Amino acid sequence: MSETILKATNVSKIYGKHKVLDKVSIEIKRGMIYGLIGENGAGKSTFMRVIMGLIRMDEGDVELFGKTGKKGLQHARRKMGQSIETPALYPELTARGNLQVQAANGGVSERGIDDLLHLMNLKDTGKKKAKNFSLGMRQRLAIASTLITNPEFLILDEPTNGLDPSGIVEMREIIQRLVTERGITVLLSSHLLDELSQIATHYGILHDGKIIEEFSREELARETRQYIELETSEVQKAVVVLDEMGIRDYEVINGTEINIYEQLDDVASINRSLVLANVKVSRIGTTRQKLEDYFLQLTGGNAHA
Amino acid sequence: MLNLLTAEKIKIFRSRKLWIALGILFLLPLIQVMNSQLTVNYGTELVQAKDTVINGATGILMMEKNGLTILLVISAFINFFIGEEFQNGTIRNTLSLGRSRTHYYLSKFVIAAFVSLVGVIGMTAIGMISFSIVFGFGEVAEIGNYFNYAIKTFSTLYLLILANVSIYVMISFITKNSSFALVWSFLYTIATGFLPGMFLQTEHFKQVTNWFTETFLFYSDFAKDIAQFPKMVLVSLVTIVLSSALGILLFKRTDIK
Repeated sequence: MSETILKATNVSKIYGKHKVLDKVSIEIKRGMIYGLIGENGAGKSTFMRVIMGLIRMDEGDVELFGKTGKKGLQHARRKMGQSIETPALYPELTARGNLQVQAANGGVSERGIDDLLHLMNLKDTGKKKAKNFSLGMRQRLAIASTLITNPEFLILDEPTNGLDPSGIVEMREIIQRLVTERGITVLLSSHLLDELSQIATHYGILHDGKIIEEFSREELARETRQYIELETSEVQKAVVVLDEMGIRDYEVINGTEINIYEQLDDVASINRSLVLANVKVSRIGTTRQKLEDYFLQLTGGNAHA
Repeated sequence: MLNLLTAEKIKIFRSRKLWIALGILFLLPLIQVMNSQLTVNYGTELVQAKDTVINGATGILMMEKNGLTILLVISAFINFFIGEEFQNGTIRNTLSLGRSRTHYYLSKFVIAAFVSLVGVIGMTAIGMISFSIVFGFGEVAEIGNYFNYAIKTFSTLYLLILANVSIYVMISFITKNSSFALVWSFLYTIATGFLPGMFLQTEHFKQVTNWFTETFLFYSDFAKDIAQFPKMVLVSLVTIVLSSALGILLFKRTDIK
């Protein structure tokens, strides 16, 4: 069984009378890309800040790399990197200067700076100060800054926020590369399930400070994949026809509905076979539950997915 | 702690704010020596009790002469230097690495204290040299062992300044914002600097004013009140310890946005 990197149990945070986090429990194992999804104000950033020790939780326990307690967590956090909300940079310093500061903070050598600048496409920035960087460059520099201390666990809060489409694709590729090449475990957040679905291996939906659902990439694919929706009053007969056609991946939903998950391009021939076998077909066609719809279904339809 | 200080060193040497603050402190004695020269040229004699620095030897009192300016310049520097860490979010980069908040606070205090020390050393040295060139080195009235006096005076004046530095660091960590820190530091400096002038007139509050370092900085004559130096050192040290303890305590309880 792979090592548990983060285990949060019943983490709660209260501001005044408002419970921003309400008994949030998640477990992240090594190698996961855990996507935390939630609308704005759901508590994603607060949860991440609690994990990073930037804000104090009112209840609950956090275990990082198997360590608990103040000293244990403080030590474990040296194996972590973060970029929460806006890129936190020194505007008056260059890309190299920013990395030098973070290397010093982490007590690590500056040897990795050139590689990181290269990895993040920042090696040509020269003496340009961070304040003059584009948002995409700042995001990349913020991630480079977290990587200088060679973290094993990375926390990224909405890393694609404000980026243009090409910037989003680039950021996604960078994160994937970090996971595959460096074996980093990632916790990242977004309010867009669609965006996370292209990268995360596991998901947690945070709504009004509560984790309301957790699922894997496979489970999400199953829930949102494309299928042929068949509506008939003769389900038994239809099943026989599908078996004769060699279709194995289907699901009888109720007495009138069957979902077929294969031969999606062959709706016409499936329909023809059913009709030839005297199955009364009321409706047949491909359909897909959109990720956004799935998210809205989970959150009760109030979220902006 | 050493790692944090190394990071601070990188930031500070590339900071324009540092050079502006030091520039003002280093330039001030040059302007003052020119002013004094003009005053003398117009036929007015320099008086130590009023002008504080009248020759190279009294140049050791540059901190007394420029107390308010030093405090305002240093407070502005500290407020930006710490406030911007909160505003840019860069404080997260350090604290999320598991660095102790106490160490972080102390590293900022050490840098602020070091910058202040460099500033006042430079100011005093430039003051002594420039006043020596224009008015001669001379002497401080009624001081026999000048070297001993100079060391004691400089150390006491620096400690008084340092006590205020400690307050400014605390204010910056409490407000977490450069602008608010600037306002509160300014109000603190003005209030503790000028209200004692009023309270010193009353018997009841006279003693209370002695617990504020600026009372000594603004209302003492460092060429005469040598017997008061131990009291000044005590008040400074108490201020530094109390403000740092309070600052660290509050910072440890602060949520970082």
